[in-house]
Amino acid sequence: MRRALGGPARPGTERSPGTGRPRPRGEARGVPLSGGRTRRGRTRPDLSATPSLGSQSPRRVLASAAMVTARRVVPADPRRHAGPRRRPAASPVSGRGVRQGSGASSGSQRRASILSGIYANKAASCRSPSTTSDGKAVDRASLVGNKYATRVFDDEGKDVTPRPLFRSDPNTVVPRQGKLLASSAYFGATGSGFLSSFSMHQTSGVNGSLGSFSRTYGSSSSSLSNASTTESVLDEIVEPGSRRDTAVSLSDVQVRQEEIKEWTKEDLDRRVDIYLTETETIWILDMPSVVVSVESEDAGRVLERNRIYVDICKNRPGNDRFVEKMMQTINGAAKNKEVQCDKIIMEDKGMLVTSWDLYDSFNVSEIEPVSKAEGSRATTGKSSKSHTTKEHNQTMLVSSNRGSTTSSLMISESAVLARIHEEEECHSEAILTSENFQQNLFFMERILMENIFQPKLAAYRQFPVLIDPDVTSDMSGIVAAVKEAEQEEHDKEKKDKEEQKNAFVDPSILSDLNKTPEEIVPPRLERLWSYICDLTNGHSVSSMAWSKVNPDLLAVGYGAFDCKEQKKGLACCWSLKNPMWPERIFRCEHGVTALDFSMASPNLLAVGMYDGSVTIYNVQSCNDAALLDSSESSNKHTGPVWQMRWVEQDRSATGDGKKERLICISADGRITEWFIQKRLDCIDLMKINRTESEKKKLPGEKERKREALISRLAPGMCFDFHPKDTNFYLAGTEEGHIHKCSCSCNEQFLETYRGHKGPVYKVAWNPFSTDMFLSCSADWSIILWHQDSQTPILTFSSSTAFVHDVMWSPKSACIFAAVNESRVEIWDLSASILNPVTSCFANPRVKFTSVLIAKNTDCLLVGDSKGEVSVFELQNLAAPNNNKVGTLHDIIGPAVAI
Amino acid sequence: MAEVEETLKRIQAHRGVVATIVVNAEGIPIRTTLDNSTTVQYAGLLHQLTMKARSTVRDIDPQNDLTFLRIRSKKHEIMVAPDKEYLLIVIQNPCE
Repeated sequence: MRRALGGPARPGTERSPGTGRPRPRGEARGVPLSGGRTRRGRTRPDLSATPSLGSQSPRRVLASAAMVTARRVVPADPRRHAGPRRRPAASPVSGRGVRQGSGASSGSQRRASILSGIYANKAASCRSPSTTSDGKAVDRASLVGNKYATRVFDDEGKDVTPRPLFRSDPNTVVPRQGKLLASSAYFGATGSGFLSSFSMHQTSGVNGSLGSFSRTYGSSSSSLSNASTTESVLDEIVEPGSRRDTAVSLSDVQVRQEEIKEWTKEDLDRRVDIYLTETETIWILDMPSVVVSVESEDAGRVLERNRIYVDICKNRPGNDRFVEKMMQTINGAAKNKEVQCDKIIMEDKGMLVTSWDLYDSFNVSEIEPVSKAEGSRATTGKSSKSHTTKEHNQTMLVSSNRGSTTSSLMISESAVLARIHEEEECHSEAILTSENFQQNLFFMERILMENIFQPKLAAYRQFPVLIDPDVTSDMSGIVAAVKEAEQEEHDKEKKDKEEQKNAFVDPSILSDLNKTPEEIVPPRLERLWSYICDLTNGHSVSSMAWSKVNPDLLAVGYGAFDCKEQKKGLACCWSLKNPMWPERIFRCEHGVTALDFSMASPNLLAVGMYDGSVTIYNVQSCNDAALLDSSESSNKHTGPVWQMRWVEQDRSATGDGKKERLICISADGRITEWFIQKRLDCIDLMKINRTESEKKKLPGEKERKREALISRLAPGMCFDFHPKDTNFYLAGTEEGHIHKCSCSCNEQFLETYRGHKGPVYKVAWNPFSTDMFLSCSADWSIILWHQDSQTPILTFSSSTAFVHDVMWSPKSACIFAAVNESRVEIWDLSASILNPVTSCFANPRVKFTSVLIAKNTDCLLVGDSKGEVSVFELQNLAAPNNNKVGTLHDIIGPAVAI
Repeated sequence: MAEVEETLKRIQAHRGVVATIVVNAEGIPIRTTLDNSTTVQYAGLLHQLTMKARSTVRDIDPQNDLTFLRIRSKKHEIMVAPDKEYLLIVIQNPCE
C-alpha cells in the first residue's frame, strides 16, 4: 500500500519495521524507479540518485512517488504550460528542491494538484491491495529493466507505471531550466497535469479518470467514470503530446524545442504573468505498510516484530537509548563535572617594556645561575651583601639580591626576613653610610664648587669666561668687573657702578676686547680664588708642590711661620675642582716645612717637618696614617728639613735606568738621600761644612781667633739639582753661600758662590738657560748668577723685605716670580731688570711666604702666613714665542765680566 | 658616619645652597633642610623625573646608566644624584 506522506518527508525518519513490506515487494513496487520516466528525477538528480537506480529498499525516500504519478499526469502540454500560466524564468521557483506543501500559489490549483496526487496515490493504493500489488510488483519489477515493457495498471486499469526518476539517456539532455520548466509546468499545473502524464502512457482510461480527479475533490472512483468528461480536457492536453513519441523525454525535448521560437520585440515587451504555485509534494520517503495475512508463514514473525515495535515506541520517550538528533554526526556523550574552588583572584598588570628592561632581564637570567651560588653566601649578612656590592657592578648586586631572595632554603629565607626587618629599622643609616652615598656627596660637592667657581676656573683654564644671563651678581671685586667687561651687551650703568666700587679695577681690562693694536696693555695679576679652609687657618704656608702627574693637584704644607712657636702641622692636597675643602688632609706632628710629590710613584708625597723627620704619605688613601716614617731612622735630621725633592737621576754607573731619589737638606747641615725600604733610612750625600767667608785680610789686622762654632756644619736652606745634569746641584746655606756640589764627591764643594749677605732661601736653575740660576735671600735681594762666575751677574732688589721665594717661569727664560713678605712680584728681564713688571700687594697683616707657578696655565699660586693659597692669573704677559734665551744672554752679556 | 655628616654640613654651608635633601627609595626624607611638605614635593617630582631620565638613557644604550641629573632653571639649579636606594638633591642658587 502506498502510503502518502502528508507532511514533509524526513530523510532520517525510520519507518517502523512492522509496517515495512517484505523486501521484494517493496522492490517490486519499485516505487523509486529507474524504469519510469521521471522528468523530475532528471532535473533533480540528488533525489533521484538514491532511490531510483536499482536501490531497492523499503525505506527508500520516495520523494518522487508523487512525482511519478504526477509525471503520468502531466501531459507535457507545452502550449498550456508555456502559456500565460508561467514564464520560463519562473520554473526554478517550483523546480527547486523539495517543496513540500510550501509556496502559496493558486490555492485551488495547488490543492487540486496535491490532492489529486494524494488521491491518485490513494486510488492507486486502495486499488492495489498487497496481493494485487504483488502482481503489480512483479510487473513493476520487470519495469525496472525495461521502461515500457511493463506497465502497471490499477484495478481500474489505470496505468500507474512508475517512471524512472533518472534517465541517463543522452538524448534527453536538455537544459535544466527547460526541464524544470517542463516539470514545474507539469507540476504547477492543475490536476489535469497529473492526468496528462497519465495520459502519456495510455490512451484514455486513466487519463480520463485522473482528469476527473482534478475536477473533483472527493470521490476517486467517480473519476474513473468520468472518462468522457476528462477526455475533452485531455484531448487538449494530449494533443501536443500525441505528437510525440512514447519517450517522454523526447517529448520533453520536443516540447522544449517547440517552445523555442523567435522572440520578437513585442514578445519581449509583452506582459507576462507569473504565477507562483506550490509544487507537488515531494516524497522523500514512503514506506507503505505491508499487510500480511495472518495465515501466511511470515505472520508470526511479523506479529512479533510489530509487537517489538510497539514496545519500542512506548519506551521511547524517556529512554536513554533514543536520542533525538537532527543531524547525522555522532557526538560523544557529555558529562558534566562540577568543581568547586576558591575564588581565583585576577590581577591586571600593565608593563611598559623598554629596551633596558629587556637587557636587564637577560642579564639577570644569565647571571642568575652564577649568583645562585653566591646567593647562599649573600644570605649570611648585610655585610656580605655590601661585600658583593663592592666586588661586582650594580647588575650583579641586583642579581645577588635576587639570588638571595629567591633561594629556596627555609633557613635562608627566614634569615632574609629577619634581615629585612633589621634593615628597615636602620635603613636610613645604611643609606647614609653607604659608599655610593659618600661618593655622590663627593660629586655633589664638586659640582657645587664648579657652579660657584665656574668663572674663575674658566679663567684659570684660560677659557673664555661666560656670563650666566640669569645670574644677577653683585659680586664685588675684579672678577665681576671682568665678567661685565666681557659682556658687551651688558648694562653700562652696572659696569660703572662696579668700577666705582672697586678701586682695583684696571680700565685696561675693560678694553681688552676691543684692544687696538697701538695699546699695550700692561700685565697684571688678577686674583681668582684662594685655597683656604677652616683647618688651615692659623697655619702658615711653608711649601707648595704640584703633583707630577695631575697638574690640578696641589700639595701644600702648613707650618708655623715663626720659628719660635711650633704647633702641629698640616699637609693638604688640594684639587682644582674643590677650592673650598682639601681632598686629603694629613695631620703631622710637627710643622711641615717641605714637601714634594714623587714622580715615579705619583701617589707618594714626602713631607719634611720641622723636627727633621721625613714622612711619606700615600695620597690615594684618605687615611691619615703615614706610609713610611723616618722616626726609626737613626740617621735622621736633627734640624728642620728646609727642602726636599724627589730627583730623578741617571745611574749610568750602575747601569740602571732613571731612578728616583729623595734628597733633603736640613738645618743640621746635611744633605741626605733617603731610601725607601722597609723603613726609611738615609745616607748622607754631603755635609755642608762651614766655609769661611773670604775676608780680606786687612793689613794690620791681627789674626782673629777662630770663631767658636757650635757646629762645623752650616745649615742648608735650599738646594736645586741641575736640570740637565743631575749629578750636581746647588745648595744654599744660612751663611749666604751657595755651593755647587756633585753627587759623586761628597767631601768637597765644586764651587762656592758668595754674594748674599743673609741666608739663601731659594736657589733655582733657569730651566732654559741652564748656566744661570737665581737665588733669593733674606738680604732683600735676588741675585742672578752664572755658574761660571763667582760673582753675581745681576741683582734685583725692589723692596726692603725678605725675599722668601723665587721661581722661574716654566715658559720663558726671562720671567720669574718672587715673593717677599709684602708682595709678589713678576719680573720680566726682557722688559726691565730694575723693576718687576707687575706686582700684587698682600693684605696688610699677611705675609706672603711662597710662590708656585702653574705649568699648564698662566697662573700663580702664592701662599701666605695666614694659611691661604691665593691663585692669581697672570694676564697680558707678553707671550713668549721663543724661550728668549737669546734675550737673556743679551741682557746679561754686558754684565758678564768674564 | 661622621665624615658623611661633615660633608653634608659643608655642602649645606656652601654659598648659594638653598636646600639639601636626602630621601630614600620610598620618598621618605632622611635628611632635609626644608620643611616637610616642600621636601616631599621635591622628592616625589624629582623621583619621577629621574626615573624618566634613567629610562631614556638606558633605552638608548642599555649598558649605560644615569649618574647625575642637573636642572638649570631661572632661579635655581637643582642637582640630583640618583641611586637605587636614595636620592640626593641639592638646590643651589648659583648667583650668590
